[in-house]
Amino acid sequence: MNLDKAKIEAKKMLSRGEVKYVIGYEIGTYGFRISPSFARTPEEVDKFTLSPLCANNLVTYLKVERSPPLPKGIKPSNLKVALFAKGCDSRAILQLIAEKNLSREDVFIFGVPCTGRIDPKKIEAMFPRVVSKADVVEKDDSYIIMIEGKDHPVPKDKLIFDHCRSCQYPNPLVYDLLLGDEVAAGEDYYDSVVELEKQTLNERWNYWRSHFERCIRCNACRNVCPLCYCDDCILERLKPQWMRRSVNANDNTVYHLTRAYHMAGRCISCGECERVCPMHLPLMKLYKKLEKDVKELFEYTPGLTAEEKPLLTTFKPEDSEEFIK
Amino acid sequence: MKIGVYVCHCGTNIAANIDVVKVVGYAATLPYVVVSRDYQYMCSDPGQELIKKDIYEHKLDRIVVASCSPAMHEPTFQKVLEEAGLNRYCLEMVNIREQCSWVHMNREEATRKTMVLVAGAAARAALLWPLTAREVNVTPTALVIGGGISGIQTALDIADNGFRVYLVEKEPSIGGRMAQLDKTFPTLDCSACILTPKMVDVSRHPLIELMTYAEVVDVQGYVGNFKVKVKKKPRYIDTAKCTGCGLCAEACILRGKILNEFDVGTSKRSAVYLPFPQAVPLKYTVDKDNCMFIRYGVCGKYPACKKVCSSEAIDFNQKEEFVELNVGAIVVAAGYDVFDPKIKPELGYGLYRNVITGLELERLCSASGPTHGKIKVDGKEPRAVLFIHCVGSRDAQVGNEYCSRVCCMYTAKHAYLIKEKLPNTKVTVCYIDMRASGKGYEEFYKKVQLEGVQYRRVNVAEVYQKGEKLVARGEDTLLGEPCEIESDLIVLAVGLTPKKNAKDTSVLLRIPQGSDGFFLEVHPKLRPLETTSSGVFLAGCCQGPKDIPESVAQASGAASKAVMLLSKGKVLVEPFTPQISEDICTGCGFCIEVCPYEAISFKDVNRYGYSVKAASVNEALCKGCGACSAACLSGAIQQNAFTDEQLLTVVKMLSGDT
Amino acid sequence: MSGIFKGAFEPNIIAFLCNWCSYVGADLAGISRIRYPANVKVVRVMCSGRVNPLFVIYALRHGLDGILIAGCHPGDCHYLQGNYIARRRLVLMRRLIEYVGIDPRRLRVSWVSASEGAKFADLVKEMVDEIKKLGPIEQFHENI
Repeated sequence: MNLDKAKIEAKKMLSRGEVKYVIGYEIGTYGFRISPSFARTPEEVDKFTLSPLCANNLVTYLKVERSPPLPKGIKPSNLKVALFAKGCDSRAILQLIAEKNLSREDVFIFGVPCTGRIDPKKIEAMFPRVVSKADVVEKDDSYIIMIEGKDHPVPKDKLIFDHCRSCQYPNPLVYDLLLGDEVAAGEDYYDSVVELEKQTLNERWNYWRSHFERCIRCNACRNVCPLCYCDDCILERLKPQWMRRSVNANDNTVYHLTRAYHMAGRCISCGECERVCPMHLPLMKLYKKLEKDVKELFEYTPGLTAEEKPLLTTFKPEDSEEFIK
Repeated sequence: MKIGVYVCHCGTNIAANIDVVKVVGYAATLPYVVVSRDYQYMCSDPGQELIKKDIYEHKLDRIVVASCSPAMHEPTFQKVLEEAGLNRYCLEMVNIREQCSWVHMNREEATRKTMVLVAGAAARAALLWPLTAREVNVTPTALVIGGGISGIQTALDIADNGFRVYLVEKEPSIGGRMAQLDKTFPTLDCSACILTPKMVDVSRHPLIELMTYAEVVDVQGYVGNFKVKVKKKPRYIDTAKCTGCGLCAEACILRGKILNEFDVGTSKRSAVYLPFPQAVPLKYTVDKDNCMFIRYGVCGKYPACKKVCSSEAIDFNQKEEFVELNVGAIVVAAGYDVFDPKIKPELGYGLYRNVITGLELERLCSASGPTHGKIKVDGKEPRAVLFIHCVGSRDAQVGNEYCSRVCCMYTAKHAYLIKEKLPNTKVTVCYIDMRASGKGYEEFYKKVQLEGVQYRRVNVAEVYQKGEKLVARGEDTLLGEPCEIESDLIVLAVGLTPKKNAKDTSVLLRIPQGSDGFFLEVHPKLRPLETTSSGVFLAGCCQGPKDIPESVAQASGAASKAVMLLSKGKVLVEPFTPQISEDICTGCGFCIEVCPYEAISFKDVNRYGYSVKAASVNEALCKGCGACSAACLSGAIQQNAFTDEQLLTVVKMLSGDT
Repeated sequence: MSGIFKGAFEPNIIAFLCNWCSYVGADLAGISRIRYPANVKVVRVMCSGRVNPLFVIYALRHGLDGILIAGCHPGDCHYLQGNYIARRRLVLMRRLIEYVGIDPRRLRVSWVSASEGAKFADLVKEMVDEIKKLGPIEQFHENI
């Protein structure tokens, strides 16, 4: 991965005033943490890093920073934003463009072909209480974890995100500058979903209930999702009140079912929701199920082109009537 | 917010199964309800006055009426509100008759359900707000689909009222089924004689544009503003030049080879033909499915028809043409088909040559028919003729449970005509019931019997050949014993069925069919001419089997309905358009994509200094389906009168216990 | 909450009927005096396309034991395509609730035309019987 190429280009764009800022990754506060990095000057670009720990989907900042409050007299900037985008991230960009939320000209993409990212929960379980900043490089089928000068090789399989294993789109589908060679796609499977589907109704209810019970409604999953861009979320509405404010298993279920339904045909499976969840809810199992159904029933995959019509605004006369009696 | 709740007894229709007083008492306890009453007939004058009086006295601003289906009386009560100075959309109706008292037998359960429905309605009424119905202009033109007697009468009536009419008929000539009839019951008028003057009137009327050999292929738009696409099928004859002389048909090499549809297959015609001598327009048509030149590009050395046509009217280069019509009202007079007795093979139709349908006999009796009115069986006059009633009607086995209304009478007529032509022939009619309900019908039936036609109440089970004769075997239900009747000719009184392409027409015009396949009227008793598609009316047998007097009466009625619409010049369209909260709208465009009428588009709005896109609706195009409101992820677009809040309030109330 | 009446469970079911087809069909059942159980309460919408599948979650959360959504037959929608759009949405919602462990038979979608009064009555009877067997929706009871 040619990070230097990106850094040179980023510095150029910033010094020429072509971009508002460049969003990249930088080493985080401690241990294996990675923070998103907003470089507004060429010097700040030096902080950028790119390692298997860089899992964040930076596209979410396009949403967050789309229209920051304007001080009096200041006009909105129409400068571009540059950012790093992995395969899944680029799909988020395409889906946003398809949903008219973004114009292609507004963003400069450093395309990062991705060979998988490390699940922070897994690496922190394997190397607990690491405080000094660590780094990771990829070497063939393993990750070399560098902590306080010592190298720890670990097979990739043990640390990689589950959803990275079955990633179908590791290469960015849209980019302005590609930072490496294209990589092979993973094998597409929905093992975890199928496993749950095989269980009985009751077993599934108990499984999901046990997780929804623990949800603290921090809304991190909603905040981090690049496709949850409504300024006024329907779940916050009081007239009508779709969901009560109380934090209990019932209303948490409503929260997650609503978000899952709203993601149908839009979720690009970047896995950020599960990564940021402080209660370790198995959210990918929920969203992957919808992705599987959407593919199966309607042969539709979101985020592949910028002209794709949103799933639930189209229909085919031969659509499934499987349950209609 | 002051709500008035009115619960109707509807005589005993509601009160018999619902404790109306209890409901009224309960309704009085609901939030914002200040008046809660019951009355015998809410829709009657005193009932309506009651509501108006309460509105004045108690300053009510929302009204809930629990009564029959809104499909029946919503307009009635909306008018009451308007007369009392309230907006008509501040009315909420609760259906406690068709969907409650008429279907639930347990009084306690029905009452509980009513109470919960009324609670839901009151909660929703509190969330309603005044809306203004939209006024759209009505195009002062009508379209009549079908050129039979019903279509003809409708077109004449509308045109006589001063409005332009397009009469579209898919056959080469108007006239429909009536043109195929010989004489009509009970007067025994010659059918063609009474029909032809009307057909000529149509062709001469300055306000009627006759399009024969044409079909409606697309209908878009809505009441008052329909855009209709008509396909004019190619006749391969220049109608401006054709004089109707008929030399082409005589010369055609396929003369006498093609089954003549008009004669129901009892005769054969040429590939270029006139359906019948009194055809309007009197122009020939080339049958493209059979014509040699059209099929193979060659006909002998040179097409004979072209050779003999002195007007040079034959034009094999003609193509089908599409025309777009703008009309304000549509009347469907598409007519009927007759039951195909092949579906009942036990009656021998299609098996034995001398088993025919009533319509075929009609052509044989006709002086202009294939046999010039002579009835001959195997070259000889039949010694015995047998008629069998109810073939394909009143028959659950073939799926037609209805009575076709006209068969008893037309069979009586046929029996009479046979007796007139062949006084020595034994004529027997196998009936199950005799229905002679119209003016002069019973008298005619008596006359027929006095002529010597024998009526036997025989249920015919089977027809079989015995030597040269046909035998009908059945049960004589009056004598209570099996019987066999020999005959030379058997005529089946086939019933009337919807046209084979009725389903296509139903989809085209978005008018539902009843379970029997005929087009469904809004209400069988009170609104028999209108369909649920506003601006589309029904006339004639396409709505249900009926005889000629009824068809003509209904046709005039449909014309009157159409004229009502056209003469008003404007029509009110329901204001169930969406409202968009521009500050919530994310500009994702889901509503724009999902709208079937492309009524929503983007517009630029200023949000906190930024220029962003938000959805904006063109109310003239919006039909009020609400798909946009369901597609919106952020709830920014809400359908008037059906907002999420209004619907969910009802859901919440219906989930509670009373 | 569903009624426990005389000891037997009486399901509380809500039905979204479209104004042009299924609502008229339900009226026809009434005109024809066909009997069916009183467990189904009707909410009229203009088109089945108006039904947001999230209504289903809302209804289940508020204790309704079953939801019926009836629209025009495909191809017959008064607004051209509302039922096609609804079909896609509701398939996904049904699969979603099934996956989370809510019995999908609580959500029923059917096509009822304006002339199918008997079909509507049969639909209601079938659904009430089915939900009776499933029992009340205890999954969202407050005491958890």
